[in-house]
Amino acid sequence: MARDLGERNREWFARYKDDVKKEGKPFFPRAMLHDTIMGLVTILVMIGLAVVWYYDADGTEPGILGPWYTEPAEPGTTDFIPRPDWYFYFLFYLLRIFEWPETVFIATVGIPTVALVLLLGLPFYDRRPERRPSRRPVAMVAAVLTVVSMGVLTWKGATATEALGSELIELVPEWAEEQGFADDEQAVAGADLFAVSGCLNCHTYLGQGSANLGAPDLSAVGRTNDAAYFVQYLANPAQFGNTVMGSYSYLGQENLEALGAFLEASKGGG
Amino acid sequence: MAKVKTRRQLAVETAVLAPLDWIDERTGAVRGTKWFLFRNVPRDISWAQTLGFATLIAFAAQALTGAILAMYYKPSSEIDPTTGKPIAYASIEHITSELTLGWLVRGMHRWGASVFVILLFLHMGRVFLFGAYKYPRELQWITGVLLLVTGMLMGFTGYLLPWDQTAYWATVVGINLNGTAPFAGPWLAQFLAGGPEIGADTLAKWYALHMLLIPGAVIALIGVHLYLVTRLGVVSPPWSKEQAGRIRGEAPAPEGAREGLVRGSGGGD
Ligand code: HEC
Ligand code: HEM
Repeated sequence: MARDLGERNREWFARYKDDVKKEGKPFFPRAMLHDTIMGLVTILVMIGLAVVWYYDADGTEPGILGPWYTEPAEPGTTDFIPRPDWYFYFLFYLLRIFEWPETVFIATVGIPTVALVLLLGLPFYDRRPERRPSRRPVAMVAAVLTVVSMGVLTWKGATATEALGSELIELVPEWAEEQGFADDEQAVAGADLFAVSGCLNCHTYLGQGSANLGAPDLSAVGRTNDAAYFVQYLANPAQFGNTVMGSYSYLGQENLEALGAFLEASKGGG
Repeated sequence: MAKVKTRRQLAVETAVLAPLDWIDERTGAVRGTKWFLFRNVPRDISWAQTLGFATLIAFAAQALTGAILAMYYKPSSEIDPTTGKPIAYASIEHITSELTLGWLVRGMHRWGASVFVILLFLHMGRVFLFGAYKYPRELQWITGVLLLVTGMLMGFTGYLLPWDQTAYWATVVGINLNGTAPFAGPWLAQFLAGGPEIGADTLAKWYALHMLLIPGAVIALIGVHLYLVTRLGVVSPPWSKEQAGRIRGEAPAPEGAREGLVRGSGGGD
């Protein structure tokens, strides 16, 4: 390198300032006019979206931009799909990719942290003064790959399907048959609860559900522990070192016991 | 030859200029505004360079519509005995279907969040394409990345507030995600949930984050960001033949070209 990088940078910036002073155009009103036009377009788009959203939907009836609101929050049931706003779909879908318990934190913390550090550090590891895209092949390829992978993840997140509680509850007789607890009323009641309480948003059971956040398959969980243990576990998973799963104590003792009976009866079928 | 001032000019001077001078003498506000407005920008800047300003406008619109919503929204998850619905939910219903133009304010705020996030990414993409994060704008880029993160946090915390099923369960999952992080994770999840279950305390906490703490951080960062862009200026499009800072006398040479040794192999190192 003929000259020191810092020196070249400073020379370039001095030239830049000189040029802007001598041949630049005034920010006000010239550049500001373009900015204002863009600002107005932005506001109009916001109003447009609001109008389409409002007039196409009605209360909880969704239009093309979704409903005004869904049913009031109710911790007890999850007959619908937990889903963040669309611009978090890419994170949301990452979880589906890293479904094994030991790898979950790669998706929840690892990748986002690495991405953030790479983004923050960009000006410090890409120090060449060259700015033309045609001369920055590495940067351009990296950018295209980032955009494509975020696009794919967002798309996958948007189209990922999860079964609703109301669909899962239909499967309870099948489960009872396979696991052999059809005659145990308490276990069947527990299975109903299991189907509608959102457990299958994280766990899998006899091939149903979505493995999320490293939650284990529960088809044969009854081989490991008994009902009393499960009741305690569900009332306070944090006590058992499980900080991912929330407490289900709000279901009440009777319901917890039903769930416990169901889990104990789940010995893997066959 | 001093021109005799008309009475009108004198009136303007005493009514407008004198108070401005008084303020400027004490604050520098007038000089500051002039510094911001009456500066030059490269003559070849492109439309893509209006995206930052558009992001600013989107944020301002969010702040305004958000302030109006805050006048009618009630952050409480308690069940209202008359309607049988959570108070927060009922207040959102009221804003949407009863309040005059409430639907417009809420709709703009709700969809404005998406517009804001899209603009953040487009603006960042433009900066990346133009290589505008390089010397001397490294800190400009860093405040930008922090704005991207805080901007998305705005969306994350605001999503819970309507207290409907979608909001509630998305947030449950979101908080649980934090719980998987090593070390601080469980603590963070506990803090965000505001208790063993997601309920009244959670809502109050998220409301405070969404309308005080995070927007405060965003506004401060925007201040630094705009100060830096005024101080350092914006770059010309890198492909422009008449870009500010070009090397004279040769073809509009790449400023980064390796000089000496191998001519024309520019851009390699
Ligand atoms: C937010 C995701 C999530 C939801 C929802 C969830 N769980 Fe879990 N659950 C987990 C995770 C993750 C683990 C594993 C924790 C560990 O290994 O420490 C787990 C562990 C368990 C265990 C212990 C398994 C064993 O091998 O000991 C049981 C039992 C259980 N869950 C039952 C349930 C039931 C019943 C429900 C619904 C009422 C439910 N879970 C809802 C995430 C979830
Ligand atoms: C609330 C969010 C933001 C606001 C209000 C904002 C505002 C602005 C404005 C008004 C400009 C002037 C030029 C232009 O309009 O393009 C600018 C430039 C710039 N912004 Fe942002 N910005 C935001 C977010 C970001 C983000 C997310 C990044 C990148 C990570 C970023 C990096 C930059 C850089 C490096 C410049 C200098 C560009 C140049 O010299 O050409 N900004 N910003």
